[in-house]
Amino acid sequence: MDAKLDMFEDVNTSPSPSLEGDMSIPGKRTTTTTSQNGVPDYNTLDEPIKETVLRDIRAVGVKFYHVLYPKEKSSLLRDWDLWGPLVLCTFMATILQGSSSADSMSDNGPEFAQVFVIVWIGAAIVTLNSKLLGGNISFFQSVCVLGYCLTPVAISLIVCRIILLSTQTRLLFFLRFVTTTMGFAWATYASFIFLGQSQPPHRKPLAVYPIFLFFFIISWLVLSHN
Amino acid sequence: METPTADDLLQFRDYSATSATNSGTPAQINVNSPTHASGGGGSGIGSGFVGAGGSSSAQRQRGDPLADLIYDMSTSAHAMAGGGATNLQNAPIDGSGGAGSGGGSGARLSFLTIEYYQQFFNVDTYMVLERIANSMIPKRAAGNYLRMNIGENPDLYGPFWITVTLIFSIAISGNIASYLHHASDGYHWHYNFHLVSYAATCIFLYANILPVILWALFKYSLKPIDDADAVETDSATYTPTLLSLMCIYGYSLAIYIPVSILWVINISLLQWLLVITAALLSGTVLIAVLTPALRNSQFSLFLIIGILSAHIVLAAGFMLYFFHNPPDSPVTMPIPTAAPAPSVLKAVTQAAKAVLPGNRTR
Repeated sequence: MDAKLDMFEDVNTSPSPSLEGDMSIPGKRTTTTTSQNGVPDYNTLDEPIKETVLRDIRAVGVKFYHVLYPKEKSSLLRDWDLWGPLVLCTFMATILQGSSSADSMSDNGPEFAQVFVIVWIGAAIVTLNSKLLGGNISFFQSVCVLGYCLTPVAISLIVCRIILLSTQTRLLFFLRFVTTTMGFAWATYASFIFLGQSQPPHRKPLAVYPIFLFFFIISWLVLSHN
Repeated sequence: METPTADDLLQFRDYSATSATNSGTPAQINVNSPTHASGGGGSGIGSGFVGAGGSSSAQRQRGDPLADLIYDMSTSAHAMAGGGATNLQNAPIDGSGGAGSGGGSGARLSFLTIEYYQQFFNVDTYMVLERIANSMIPKRAAGNYLRMNIGENPDLYGPFWITVTLIFSIAISGNIASYLHHASDGYHWHYNFHLVSYAATCIFLYANILPVILWALFKYSLKPIDDADAVETDSATYTPTLLSLMCIYGYSLAIYIPVSILWVINISLLQWLLVITAALLSGTVLIAVLTPALRNSQFSLFLIIGILSAHIVLAAGFMLYFFHNPPDSPVTMPIPTAAPAPSVLKAVTQAAKAVLPGNRTR
């Protein structure tokens, strides 16, 4: 974007001729990661809405990818967002909720709200525990990581749901068990990679154990859903 | 850094910065000040590296300036000497570091900041494991465990996470037990989520209300001090703080976690054996640890009986409510199947009434 700036000054103050110049703004960058959180280097006012929405979706997608293949850990922590955890939590709570139909006895699966509360309050408590033990990670970064690391658990929930479509046998139960265990192990490993560095070394097991417990409980909900 | 000699001190030399070690802030010494800077201690807690100095600083009481000076110098000495695997027994020696009043001495830290609560989480992995082991094996802890170890550094990490783990292990094992019990009947099992709420209520009440009651009873049943026996006054007036009691009770529940997993095995004799063993072990530990405080109380016998019976009632309650299923025998077989029969009937009639496509059976 080029603009021309002409400055006209009073004849009294300066005898110099009028100034001329160019003012150019660097072109729009297509990278999704910026050095500062949420501050783009370009003018977003003129771009189409589709571009704005796609940028955020791309950021969320990149984070999902990094959780599934946890090698590079900085992007999840630097540009945290809570869209992914919200989507995952809503999805899982919808599938996991017990039916409230008339033929239900007192025994039921968890309600939608119960799953929601377990995920969010659980993530908050685990984060609070990390901070109280002296970890140097911010609250929302940690909640973001824990939420995104629910991805393997959600995948195992989908697989279990597909397995449940046929009549149940011991073999199928064993298959569900194996899937859930793999999802749980993957989630714990991924979150350990992201959050493990932020704790002092002699307290690392103390901080990792609540994360383990959190994913264990959610995997238990997935496994016992039938 | 070698200790400087007198000649060194008389010369004007630059010494290397002492912050080469792990402490974040240089050692501070305040002389003749009623309150000494707790900034070093506060950030020490925050970074988690300074063990000995940081743990006691938040529990300092406003003593005389001489004690403050001694404390400051020993703190900086400890910070320089290396804060590696410091044991809390090396805590600075001063007379006013008595039963840690974690709540009352928060004069520097507001309870609205997170640093205030960090002082209750000032434990390392090995310390937590030590305390769990001390709660399961009688006589493992030293005689002054309550006052010197827990009293100096009561932590809330152990009690909180042990109670949460216990709640979920009971809920999960209870569900597994009911599933295994009904698996052979063709009974369509569903997950009982209410177990979590019931277990949570029980355990939180036990781990929180009972220490409060005990603390109040200890405080108000103190034996009057015999003036002629003035030597013993310090230990004779000792009552444990509320936080120490909650810490002790929280850790005493740790033994029930593996026991609750073993309760899944549906052999009645084994279940009762586990209850008795676990209750005896942790009850013995409780009494042994609380002995210094029980000695000072007028109702010591009643308190002992009360503590033990509460413990046994809790264990038996868990077992009976969540895990005890009548053994399968030809006589009792109709009983377990009678329960699902009305529900099956209900389901059949409702299925006859309205057939919803894709209705999930629960």
